[in-house]
Amino acid sequence: MTRTWSRTSRVIAGTATALAVLTACGGGGDDTANKPSGPVTITFWGWAKGSKDVVDAFNSSHRDIQVKFEEIPSGTAGGYAKISNAVKAGNAPDLVSIEYASLPEFVSSGALQDIGDQFTEADRAKLLPQSVELTTLGGKSWAVPFDAAPQAFFYRKDLFAKYGVQPPTTWDDFKKAAEQIKKADAKARIATFFPDDPTTFEAMAWQAGAQWFKAENDTWKVNTTDPATTKVASYWQGLLDADLVHKDASFSPEWVGSLKNGTTVGYLGASWGAGVLKGNSPELAGKWAVAPIPTWDGKPASGMLGGTSFAVTKDSEQKAAAVTFAKWMSTTEAGIKSRIASGTSSAFPADAGLRPVAKKAFDASYYGGQDIYALFEAAGASINPHWAWGPTTGTTNTAIKDQFGKLAKGGPSIADAVRTGHDATVAELTKRGLKVEG
Amino acid sequence: MVVPIGYAIWLSLFTEKQSGLGFGGTETVFTGLANYTAALGDRAFLEGFGVLLGYCLLYIPLLLAGALGLALLLDSALARARRFFQLALFLPHAVPGIIAALIWVYLYTPQLSPVVRAMDAGGIGFDFFSPEGTLPSVVNIALWEWLGYNMVIFYAALQAIDRSVLEAATVDGAGAWRIAFAIKVPLVKASLAMVGLFTIIGSLQLFTEPLILNKGTGSAVTSTWTPNMYAYTAAFDRNDYGLAAAASVLLALTAALLSFAVTRLTGRRKSGGARKEKTA
Repeated sequence: MTRTWSRTSRVIAGTATALAVLTACGGGGDDTANKPSGPVTITFWGWAKGSKDVVDAFNSSHRDIQVKFEEIPSGTAGGYAKISNAVKAGNAPDLVSIEYASLPEFVSSGALQDIGDQFTEADRAKLLPQSVELTTLGGKSWAVPFDAAPQAFFYRKDLFAKYGVQPPTTWDDFKKAAEQIKKADAKARIATFFPDDPTTFEAMAWQAGAQWFKAENDTWKVNTTDPATTKVASYWQGLLDADLVHKDASFSPEWVGSLKNGTTVGYLGASWGAGVLKGNSPELAGKWAVAPIPTWDGKPASGMLGGTSFAVTKDSEQKAAAVTFAKWMSTTEAGIKSRIASGTSSAFPADAGLRPVAKKAFDASYYGGQDIYALFEAAGASINPHWAWGPTTGTTNTAIKDQFGKLAKGGPSIADAVRTGHDATVAELTKRGLKVEG
Repeated sequence: MVVPIGYAIWLSLFTEKQSGLGFGGTETVFTGLANYTAALGDRAFLEGFGVLLGYCLLYIPLLLAGALGLALLLDSALARARRFFQLALFLPHAVPGIIAALIWVYLYTPQLSPVVRAMDAGGIGFDFFSPEGTLPSVVNIALWEWLGYNMVIFYAALQAIDRSVLEAATVDGAGAWRIAFAIKVPLVKASLAMVGLFTIIGSLQLFTEPLILNKGTGSAVTSTWTPNMYAYTAAFDRNDYGLAAAASVLLALTAALLSFAVTRLTGRRKSGGARKEKTA
């Protein structure tokens, strides 16, 4: 019960902290000021699974730098609001977690500092190019990528076998499988459409080859009505209209409940989802398996769903120490191992050399010993490299989410929602004084 | 009180502008009333006031009728275990709004809620998260929170009625219903008006309950459902503090105008009531 309520409580925590920060503006502390002797202390805000374990491991193995970790609500549940308010108030931590989708927004609001001098070309060469691309904006390096988050399809292999359904490899097969499952059990559905979470839809569009944002010269080109997005929108609209998928909020009690009682037999997520499923319903150990995300033409392709990077806030005087710690988390064996060994994280490191370490540290017995990291490896290589995020992710996603909540027969469609998101994005960019086409 | 409002007004006059692709940092530019025209020109902001109007039209009659009805029941000699009911009805008010909203989100959620299950079994399928269901959902939470509180106010007013008046009515042969509607209700009219008007002002601040419905579920409650939520979203999801400040100032202005109207109205009512008492 406590588990299933965790999302709502995170929302409250986020809301409450956002309000608290608002009222506490101007408190600015400088306990992080450079001291002449003794270790440097930096503060770090994050929410990724296993962060506490990583910080503990770092602190016990380092004398010159000590990290003070504070867990904050996940970005969209209030974490980002907390970070931007702290930056505005001048009491931000040195290092913060930011997902790729939101990084451009933080950069454009001037909340971060360029770390190119500490996080060098040699460091970047070790990492998945797609994640480096997402953290390099306007020719500068803004964050240390931690994980890549290739999409994956998690499914109940016991129930698939019982219903005589094969894990689908194409989206056509996926629809057929959805029909078969509904036929076999009128209450069961193959997966869930998350009306509260545009990012899952965006990852699907990304996979299909869409490019919502393109930076050309000094102009943002916004295009969300391209053939790829339209195809994905009408496909999902079809699934919803035919009642072939559930429609529940992501990570909500009803979603988790339906996973537990077997009325939802699949989850279209990303690499980190393996840890989430395991944490949500440990009693289903051995019943889940992972398959590559279905594709349009049967050839491997993936978008990225989430994915975390670490960035240094603009007023931090401990850039070097903060980047050292960020690099330790992302690019050292000890850093990766301590996170995965916490048991709750199935992160897929952006650092290719450390994937064997992650694989070894992850207890895959929940997935019947399946080599899920090999699967992520293949999926990671197939991430479509041309996607970029714009500097208005908050506006774009809020506008789409608002419309997704109203999806109903006779109401707005998924395509309408995406269109609304497009218009809100263009209006926001224009309001900020940027050049836009779209 | 003046300082935060002054700061909000100050903030509302500026906009953060960027150049190029926007990765060169921001520059805060004085934009005069541009944030105000942006808010007033945004359909979402204006629709928020529409939602508030619908909310008041549905909520206030239900609240007044419900609270007054319960107070009359408690006040009548018929009601037993008066203290128990008083406490039981007042108790929800002691629950913070955020907790109340969470409890109700649980009770509204299709696969979890015993209430929804019972309704489905009884043939009344109702989706509390659908576009048509959101207003009743929020009104229901508000009623649950505020019914007992307002009942106590009405009950206190009823208790203040001179018992000899009621005795006289009984001697004249008036029944319980007649006494309730011909004597008690007219005598507590002033508190009825006061509660009604305060509730209108309070409704302008509608925020916590719909925010939980927005953030915690995939419901049709949008992030800009009420003007307060519009300001919140502008600040925290869109990072546009100028727009948020302008929206807040506009909402505060509306509240100030309404309060002014309310005090004028109640003031007149009170002096009118006093005059009547004198002549009686």
